[in-house]
Amino acid sequence: MTAFLVRRTGFALITLFVVLTIIFLIVRILPGDPAQVILGDQADAGSIAALRTRLGLDQPLAVQYVTFLSGAVRGDWGVSLVTGRPVIQEVLNVLPWTIELTVFALLIGAAIGIPMGVWAAVNRNHATDYVVRIASLLGLSFPAFVSGILLLIGLAIQVRWFPVISGQRGTWTQWLQSLVLPAINLGLIMAAYITRVTRSAMLEVLSEDYVRTARAKGVPWPAVVWRHALRNALIPIITIVGLYLGVLIGNSVLTEIVFNRPGLGKLIVGALNQRDYTMLQGMMVIYTLLVVLINLATDVIYSLADPRVKMQ
Amino acid sequence: MGCSTGDVIMIRKYLIAGAAGIAMVAANGTVAVAQKTTLTVGLASADTGVLDPHMNSATPGKSFMQQIFSGLVRLKPGEISPDQIEPDLAESWTSSADGKVWTFNLRKGVQCHHNFGEFTAEDAVFSLKRAATRETSTFSSDYAAFDSVEATDKYTVKITLKSAIPSLLGVVMNYHGGQMVCKAAIDQMGNDGFRRRPIGTGPFAFAEYVPQQYGKLVAHDAYFRGKPNFRELTYRLIPSDAARDLAFQAGELDLVYARQDQRAFARLKETPGVKALAMNPAEMSVIHLNMTMPPLDNLKVRQAFAHALDRDGIQQFRGREVSRQAVSVVPSGYVGTLANAPLLPHNVQRARELLAEAGFPNGITLKTIHTTLPGMLNFMEAVQAQLRRAGITLEITPVEHATFHQQIRQNLSQVVHFQAARFPIADVYLSQFFHSRATVGTPTGVTNFSHCKAADAEIDAARSEPDQAKQIALWHEAQRKIVTEVCAVPVNEQLQMWATRDTLDLGYEIKGALNLGPAVLETSKFTR
Repeated sequence: MTAFLVRRTGFALITLFVVLTIIFLIVRILPGDPAQVILGDQADAGSIAALRTRLGLDQPLAVQYVTFLSGAVRGDWGVSLVTGRPVIQEVLNVLPWTIELTVFALLIGAAIGIPMGVWAAVNRNHATDYVVRIASLLGLSFPAFVSGILLLIGLAIQVRWFPVISGQRGTWTQWLQSLVLPAINLGLIMAAYITRVTRSAMLEVLSEDYVRTARAKGVPWPAVVWRHALRNALIPIITIVGLYLGVLIGNSVLTEIVFNRPGLGKLIVGALNQRDYTMLQGMMVIYTLLVVLINLATDVIYSLADPRVKMQ
Repeated sequence: MGCSTGDVIMIRKYLIAGAAGIAMVAANGTVAVAQKTTLTVGLASADTGVLDPHMNSATPGKSFMQQIFSGLVRLKPGEISPDQIEPDLAESWTSSADGKVWTFNLRKGVQCHHNFGEFTAEDAVFSLKRAATRETSTFSSDYAAFDSVEATDKYTVKITLKSAIPSLLGVVMNYHGGQMVCKAAIDQMGNDGFRRRPIGTGPFAFAEYVPQQYGKLVAHDAYFRGKPNFRELTYRLIPSDAARDLAFQAGELDLVYARQDQRAFARLKETPGVKALAMNPAEMSVIHLNMTMPPLDNLKVRQAFAHALDRDGIQQFRGREVSRQAVSVVPSGYVGTLANAPLLPHNVQRARELLAEAGFPNGITLKTIHTTLPGMLNFMEAVQAQLRRAGITLEITPVEHATFHQQIRQNLSQVVHFQAARFPIADVYLSQFFHSRATVGTPTGVTNFSHCKAADAEIDAARSEPDQAKQIALWHEAQRKIVTEVCAVPVNEQLQMWATRDTLDLGYEIKGALNLGPAVLETSKFTR
């Protein structure tokens, strides 16, 4: 286990270094000048040039890269070109919002998706199967901003159970209120995804010999499905959930915008629009780190779900 | 593995808290509230930009920071005409006969926010010098004519100009570089620290800024005009039109930058309890024709382009209540606008004839790099359709907004659509868009995309002309020349749409807001 973790951490560090370099280059290849964005459309060329100098953007690329890399190694991600605040502080401000949204969306997705997928699989080619398949297809194809607006109209405007502006802290109630709708919005998409994966994994497992044997030996059908089949079907489900979780962190931007909620996705889009190089770099590193950690956690969970999987 | 008693108590606490929370969520909104002393404003952006009044020219930033900073003078709240200037930090002022020496007498006892001390002439001098410095100000070119700024005593500021300028008061008012910062704050925190915690003397003091979320201001009880009624202002940053609209409907916003279109405006007007505002200054959409690029170097082609455009059709497209037709290359209502500029009328037949005379009987194809901002892009697509009827094919390359701003300054676009409002004196628009000094690609370049130099002499002469009638005549002549040369085609002016609760009394009648958002005064309040 220790050797496995050390090896994976080593791979993670190499991945991070490669990502750092790629990100550094990509943000500078992008057209658009941060100094122009900061100063606005009334600044003359001289003012823009002066700001570029102050921000160090007129330095050769190699010099900027060395400065960036040495800062990164020391854990100094610099300050945002726009707000002047430390990047790490800005990222840490929004990270809890992203994590709680993602975790709750995952819980909602799993709570709905796994039973639905199992239900569809055991009722293959029956009406319930078709209903679940169509519902999951709808869930996947429905844009997050449309479902978000519909949720807001229904539950925030019509019945007024929840606020429209979700980005609010304070009491438990406010926290819960701010989380429920965005988590449902993302969770439903995740549920659709998990439903489809669970269904196909279960179909495969249910046709295995040991399932037929268990049934022949008189094991009750619910026990066959939930104890034997589902546990064996969990590996592909965990893989997909792990992969999708990484995507979800980035893709939650639409949900964050519609519900006016802070988050990594929204911060990345904002930094991209403003060409805030340092902020983009810092966030992409954190994002990469999260994805690497999620993958690591997925690997660990494999062995818990299936003892035959060894940490090698 | 068992649970200890402590664990059980803890779990029980969480369960009770969770159940109570869910119950309260379900029963939301049943608590009685007292008279509201907080105001929540919805801005259409994910960010205000840098929190420095001397560097921020973005709409949300200006709207937010106008509450924090004062000028030596200010425009009467709700007005945008420069003839409506009134005292602010300065109680009175005088100028020499030639308009080159100005003396401002400051109020005594004005307090900077967060105990940064009294605002004195030293602060005003520091602030104006800062605004005039390229490294610290976007608006430094507005102060190019400043020879010296000095504090002759603790409450007197003397400004000496190299030459008279069209509106000295315009550059010392609570707008752009004229906003007064407190020296002690910058001395203590540095420029970067100040941008994280801006300190001014306005009715509201900076409290908190959460990027992508909100900016919060609190009442400055020592404000020299009196203690503000509102105790707290929150500017919510909500870029999604739909989300902002829903938040306003739900009562979570009291004042909102509305969706900028006719249908939304009409709906807001009919909504009970809501006041819909279509305010000046309007942002004028102008199509700049790069005269250094063929075939636009041919006057007949530019005239054909102008004839092909139907201003009335565009106004109908944008909405009669929320936009108006452009009248000149300077927006209507500015001091010095030529209201009857000889703009070429819509005439498709004449456009085709001119193209044929210019050697393009089969029409021409032009290319434009354009922002993907929906409001501007929709406009350009309407223009594209109109041009097609005259045989002009306009190929639009949509790019993201920051890229657009960079590329149009690199001379990469034959045609540039730019939408802007400026300080309402003709000189500003003429100098930034049509003077050769402002030509893009040059060290002094700003936004002269057409490379126009048709009226340099008139613009320069008007700047230092002390006689206002003659000055205005020079601006008119400049506009005639620019229009005749067809450096650009002004098309449409889009008003700023806002909505408020009808219970919100801003304390003044609002006709416009130079800082692109209604100012909240110390007297502003809810009526019930």
